[in-house]
Amino acid sequence: MAIIKAEKTPDRSAPVSETSVMGWLHKNLFSSAFNTLLTLFTLYIIYLTASGVYGWGLRDATFAAENRRECYDYSLTGACWAGVIDWLDNIFYGRYPREEIWRINFGGLLLALWMAPLWMGRVKGKVLVGVTVVVFYPFLAGYLFSGGDKGFFMQVMVTGAIVAFAINMANMITGLTKNMGLNAFIIQMLEQGKAPDKTQRNILLLLLAIAFAAAFVWQVNWTVEGVSWTKWGGLFLTLVISGIGIASALPGGIILALGRRSKLPIVRVLSTGFIEVFRSVPLITVLFMATTMFPLFMPEGFVLNKLVQVIIAVILFNACYMAETVRAGLQAIPKGQFEGAHTIGLGYWGTMGLIIMPQALKHMIPNIVGSFIGLLKDTTLVSIIGLFDILGMLRSISKDVPWLGLHKEPLVFGAILFFIICFSMSKYSRHLEVKLSAGHKH
Amino acid sequence: MTDKPIDKPKARVRPKEEFNFFQDQRVRSAFYQLLTAGIVGWLAWYLISNTAHNLEVRGMNTGFGFINSSAGFDTDFKLIDYTPGVGTYGDIFLIGALNTLLISFLAIIVSTVLGFFIGVLRLSSNWLVAKVALAYVEIFRNVPLLIQIVFWYIGVFSLLPKVKQSLDLSFGAERVILNNRGLYMSTPLPGDLFWMTLATLAIAVVGAFLYRRRAHKLQDTSGKQTNTLLPSLAVIIVLPVIVFLATGMPLEWDVPVLKGFNYVGGTSVPPAFLALLVSLSIYHAAHIAESVRAGILSVNKGQSEAALSIGLKPGRVMSMVVIPQAMPAIVPPLISNWMNTVKNSSLAIAIGYSDVVSLFMQTALNQAGYAVEMVGMTMAFYMFISLTISFFLNIYNKRVQLVER
Repeated sequence: MAIIKAEKTPDRSAPVSETSVMGWLHKNLFSSAFNTLLTLFTLYIIYLTASGVYGWGLRDATFAAENRRECYDYSLTGACWAGVIDWLDNIFYGRYPREEIWRINFGGLLLALWMAPLWMGRVKGKVLVGVTVVVFYPFLAGYLFSGGDKGFFMQVMVTGAIVAFAINMANMITGLTKNMGLNAFIIQMLEQGKAPDKTQRNILLLLLAIAFAAAFVWQVNWTVEGVSWTKWGGLFLTLVISGIGIASALPGGIILALGRRSKLPIVRVLSTGFIEVFRSVPLITVLFMATTMFPLFMPEGFVLNKLVQVIIAVILFNACYMAETVRAGLQAIPKGQFEGAHTIGLGYWGTMGLIIMPQALKHMIPNIVGSFIGLLKDTTLVSIIGLFDILGMLRSISKDVPWLGLHKEPLVFGAILFFIICFSMSKYSRHLEVKLSAGHKH
Repeated sequence: MTDKPIDKPKARVRPKEEFNFFQDQRVRSAFYQLLTAGIVGWLAWYLISNTAHNLEVRGMNTGFGFINSSAGFDTDFKLIDYTPGVGTYGDIFLIGALNTLLISFLAIIVSTVLGFFIGVLRLSSNWLVAKVALAYVEIFRNVPLLIQIVFWYIGVFSLLPKVKQSLDLSFGAERVILNNRGLYMSTPLPGDLFWMTLATLAIAVVGAFLYRRRAHKLQDTSGKQTNTLLPSLAVIIVLPVIVFLATGMPLEWDVPVLKGFNYVGGTSVPPAFLALLVSLSIYHAAHIAESVRAGILSVNKGQSEAALSIGLKPGRVMSMVVIPQAMPAIVPPLISNWMNTVKNSSLAIAIGYSDVVSLFMQTALNQAGYAVEMVGMTMAFYMFISLTISFFLNIYNKRVQLVER
């Protein structure tokens, strides 16, 4: 006769040494005499650092003062954050006219709104969002920031940007509320769902033309005061240079990478040479080349301003680094993809544009974010050749009469600011990497 | 119709295709290449002709003749003899290039040692240590190098005590002095018979090396282990010391002495040098630590488990089993880091250390003009270094690839 137990014996709980706080401490910090010593030593180092930083940066620090003397009156050993706070506007916006600063904030807000749909799962037409933001936004932002008179080309591009932005926002709203694209929504509203495709398309094109015309008429009377680029500065200038840099370096990098992988020897040699030359020299030499040699390259009487010179140098430099990122992305695409594309009769550009690039670019997104972080950090170099980017502004504080000699605090503030921006971006890119590779594996 | 004998199929049937000029692969490829070459050639010609025209209009001098003309300015840090007004622009270029190489070389050594150390700490079983190493890596990687350099220069090395209150780093011997003018070190001045000490040292090193090799062979054949470290060290240290004493200590020291407002004698490096060395080392150590960590993680866990199970101590598991296998994964990013160190040393210009960029591409260029030649020479210098380093990297990669895993 067998003894049968009806209920399952409850699982024994994990031993205390595995679950308790003490167990964790023992395992991770005090597993041996040496480890204990190491832990105590590290704790001591942390204590020294933390108490030093706390004492200097918070406990003895001055946050409100008129000048450096007052900071000293309060404490000799603490930080004088009052100087940084006093200069906060300059650090972020440079010497941009104070009453016009809203334009920079508005431009930033537009960009954020424009790109917001990219993170919304329910909104359709993400590729179009990405393309319009690269093609149109720079012109709208460029006009918003620099102002003055618009030439005809600028008028068209600004109009295009306004229309694209409006459509994008409308599309986002219909996507979020009705879960459908803007075009489908319009057709439904007009009760043309049964009409032939051609009619539907014509209706949409007509509406687009009307919107464009309306926006064009409106923007003729919309002008903002001109602000010379010499007034641009601070974090704003850093973001402008690195933003334009990354947006233009990507297409340039794609072309160079394709050139380097090309079967045509002359194309390959030229691209390889170009990439290797710019990758083997420091950015500062390229910037110097831009400021000393570009004026010589141009036809007589044609003067490029320094900002444009710098931006061209940054684009050239980064396109070469981006080319290597793209090349790595292309190499990761299995050969079968190329062969499959050939089999269905696609030519070179069809294969690359429709099959290879979309896959490669998707996998490169984390690396592109990484390049952007690098570019953002590298952009501080423009302060060496005399632009007042964020580092230039931070270093000017010590030359301002009330804050004469205030060096450390602005630099520490800049370091913290960069750390927050770069660290959160790199965390995000790592998150993307995990997400993208997870989606790819099954 | 009569039956025809069936033709034997030919070996290769090639359909007679009409030769279409516009569809032919070779024609198209030649066309695109000529087009590219044409555009690039035209662009180059356009830029060159503009430059030539501009140089003529502005009356600027061209050619490399300036290399032999004398430069009228001095520099605070140089490794070769140079007198302003006598030395040439060629000397200036050489001084700058040597200064770049010196600071890069030192920074590479320090950052590599520190980077390996931190990279191993990142994987420590001690949670706290691993987190501190992580904090180090994240903080120094995410703050622009230029901000770090300027901070070390202005915030640390310029705030050191004045000359009169110099710090003595040699514990009262006044051999190594640190103040806000820089670091002053004693320099050895070898006497007549000092070469004998050096020769003994060389012989001792070779002897120790041979002894070590014999010990390895013995272990391979018989399994007997010999302690090589102690005898080797004894030979390398004791023998030269004996010779040194026997020849009557032929070594003098050039000691920095306070004269007037500054220290004179010995070797000195300016604060900018120290700031650059410290910030480059710290910044690149953070990057190297990450590649070391990635390399170690790329080694199969079974390797370290097997090594532990045959009784190796954790430290030896790391140094004898894991690191050697991780090297092929560590070396390429490590060397690209070294290349970046050389390139980033050009940020010296922000704090006035006379490297090739700040001395030649800025100061000399402002003095003499010759923008095209000077920018070209500086870039060529960096390209030469990069190409040399990649040459050695390729050799290493080929050697490593031979070992199949």
